[in-house]
Amino acid sequence: MAGLATTFGSGAMTNSINEIENAQVMLVIGSNTSEAHPQVARRIFTAMDRGARLIVIDPRRTLLARRADIHLAIRPGTDIPLLNAMMRIILDENLADDLFIEMRTENFYGLRDMLYRLDLEETARLTGVDLAGIRAAAQLYGRAQKAVICYCLGITQHVCGTGNVQAIANLAMLTGHVEKEDTGVDPLRGQNNVQGACDMGALPNVFPSYQQVDIDDYREKFERAWHACLPSQPGLTLMEMTHGGKNGPLKAMFIMGENPVLSDPVQARVEETLDNLEFLLVADIFLTETARRAHVVLPAASFAEKTGTFTNSERRVQMVRRVIPPLGQSRTDSDIIMDLSARLGYAMDYESPAEIMEEISMLAPIYGGMQHDRLENSWGLQWPCWDRRHSGTPFLHKYYFTRGKGRFVPTVHEPPAELPDEDYPFLLITGRIYHQYHTGTMSRHSALLSREAGEALLQLHPGDGRRLGVRSGDLVRMRSRRGEVQVKAQLTETVKAGEIYTTFHFSEMPVNRLTISAKDHFSQCPEYKICAVHLEKV
Amino acid sequence: MTDKYILKKDHLLPLLRKLKKTHRLIAPVQNRHGDTLFTVIDNLDEVRIDLENQAQNSLKQFFFPQQETLFSYSNPAGDSYHFEPVAEEIPPTLYFGVRPCDLAAVLYLDVVFLKNAKDPNYLQKRQNSILVGLNCNDPFASCFCNATRNGPFTDCGFDLQLTDLGDRFLVEYDRSRGQEIISQWRQFFAQAGEQDVKAQYQAFLEARGKFKLQVHLDQAVKKLAEDEVPDSVWEELSMRCQDCGGCAYICPTCTCFTISDLQTSDHAGERIRSWDACTFSGFTRMAGGHNPVDRQMRGIEKRFRHKLQFDVKKDNRPSCVGCGRCVNICFGGTDIVRFINMTCCENS
Repeated sequence: MAGLATTFGSGAMTNSINEIENAQVMLVIGSNTSEAHPQVARRIFTAMDRGARLIVIDPRRTLLARRADIHLAIRPGTDIPLLNAMMRIILDENLADDLFIEMRTENFYGLRDMLYRLDLEETARLTGVDLAGIRAAAQLYGRAQKAVICYCLGITQHVCGTGNVQAIANLAMLTGHVEKEDTGVDPLRGQNNVQGACDMGALPNVFPSYQQVDIDDYREKFERAWHACLPSQPGLTLMEMTHGGKNGPLKAMFIMGENPVLSDPVQARVEETLDNLEFLLVADIFLTETARRAHVVLPAASFAEKTGTFTNSERRVQMVRRVIPPLGQSRTDSDIIMDLSARLGYAMDYESPAEIMEEISMLAPIYGGMQHDRLENSWGLQWPCWDRRHSGTPFLHKYYFTRGKGRFVPTVHEPPAELPDEDYPFLLITGRIYHQYHTGTMSRHSALLSREAGEALLQLHPGDGRRLGVRSGDLVRMRSRRGEVQVKAQLTETVKAGEIYTTFHFSEMPVNRLTISAKDHFSQCPEYKICAVHLEKV
Repeated sequence: MTDKYILKKDHLLPLLRKLKKTHRLIAPVQNRHGDTLFTVIDNLDEVRIDLENQAQNSLKQFFFPQQETLFSYSNPAGDSYHFEPVAEEIPPTLYFGVRPCDLAAVLYLDVVFLKNAKDPNYLQKRQNSILVGLNCNDPFASCFCNATRNGPFTDCGFDLQLTDLGDRFLVEYDRSRGQEIISQWRQFFAQAGEQDVKAQYQAFLEARGKFKLQVHLDQAVKKLAEDEVPDSVWEELSMRCQDCGGCAYICPTCTCFTISDLQTSDHAGERIRSWDACTFSGFTRMAGGHNPVDRQMRGIEKRFRHKLQFDVKKDNRPSCVGCGRCVNICFGGTDIVRFINMTCCENS
């Protein structure tokens, strides 16, 4: 979010998902697309059928990497040097889009000067990828007329996450690969409605539609609409809330549809924080690990039991319709919030989700023309959609960037917070697999999905396995400076020697006992992707 | 005199209303979201029977449900087990608007479930069913039943078969139950004339030329039989496969299932049969974790070999009926048409 906001002015996919099919070159970095975003991967395959070339930058030899024309098996945490090297090659080989830079961007000289100071050989050494490969990728991407970059949490879940995104934005602007159809920078969202949550201001510093709380005009607009006094200071970020510890800043929390006990780093710290709250309220559709610690649990309704909208990765707002009434004592999220609010002395009288959407479209300009009647019999509308005559926006930044001119923000390498050493010689990467979803709150209730992938596996290079005397299926003890877990090993050449990979889906193997609380300075996103661990056979 | 009859289109609904008095009626219905599905019809006046679009589901789910309790068991004393078949009353059912591909699929299911050991659950559903088909004057975009040789028109296997002749249907029968319907409701059926029969042939001729896909299924069958499909084809398709299982679930002839026991109390439970897919890694993975099939390299192989090689060897016909549903549903482009095209291109 912060990375694209500072460079383009808008933190979302610049393209529509369908446009990927028409790209000539796709650069996928920090995304295991075929497992995590199959619907996007499918468009990548279609584009390849039509002759497009694929570059994958990923430490692991994922399925997508195996299909790629170029796979750069980067050393984790060195995305900025790699992207900078690509940009330097693009400059050297005269593949930069001078006209675009002149017309649409600012601070190019800042970037150029930084790139010219770069020692290419040295930079390549840092990334662990040979320079010829980086050069081939730079040439392929630089020469394309239509090129998209897809990135995901492999970019953002680092201490330099914002810098990584800015480097990606720099690369796209340097070659003029934004502001056009079938060409752009596409962060892939992991949940059906995480884009919608951000759009609605579920961030510490903004009201809906990214209107900052510390700008008086915006705040007063919401105060008038809600007849209430609103804070002018940004609130706390997720990690500040769940990592407060014994004397944390919060006395009470209301957690909806989230399972931080499994999903946030340093599990012990999260548990300590939650256990020291005076009051913990959780609303979820199942009794999660987090809900078990709550003083009060409110059963929430599932997608099939409620009406409203979800906003997906391509900024598309789509209706979800109630098929059955909420089962048992469960209630919809809006019912829960409205009732709670009323009992706290602030009446929220909305007759229907449609009425709430009307208010959203009045207060959130990018949702200006999105009322339920317009969304009902269509595949939805893509924001910005300013008014009822507007047909939505398939790709962003046409003619000019949201912030006016695109800004080059030169970024330099920032090493990961914790790298392997003698005591903790392995670099642990955490991520996701195809058959499970997040902390398994929903997906682990499916017998078939459990049969396909019912337990956590630790991907370990066969060479490392031999050295440790570990074979596939053996149990290994994995220990970091923060905790330890036991997990079954799976020897595979998907990972490089010295690097290991596992998932956070399974409560029996809470890998976030091991992960680190270091986080990106701007976005506060934790570095889930890198920490140092020790391995031994049990 | 021929064995062919004419049913005026205006009289279709009245006829169905009569038949519905004695039968459960299942037909393709367009729902309020615009999807056409074979649906049990409660009230004929509240639904729109859709004969213009292909139903997204086939008849498989009605004869071989996605999940089905086979029997219940109990062990009250803790020593010997007592088994109880699940008694489900299946009313006589009339399936209307069955396309030749779906009809061929039901006949294939008969082979699977009734040829050797007779599956009682299937038999019960199948033996009181009446199939009223509809020939395809306009094959749909993904259809290739001309290549599988069971369409677009068919002349056997149905109880009644309709051909759209504009303002009227030509009606044929193949089984005695179809003949009974005609004689019972004689007022709806007029004897067909020579012109009508000629019109049917004309429609058939025209329909054969309307397929949009060109699928060389025979060649693929031959290459499989001669073991000439290169590994690269299996590899490319297996790597593209996104493992959703959609092809197997939507396929009218895919019959893989898994068995699980659901414990309902300390001393009782139910045995359940549910759809499965041979493309899933859990389908072949053994206890201990070993999997004889490397999903990423060969995961999709069994599916196509079964349909185009093993069944051809066994029954002299492929068990793909060319309905094209997998072409429409497949995420990654690993449907059978792509397989056939890749197989036929690789060596040429």
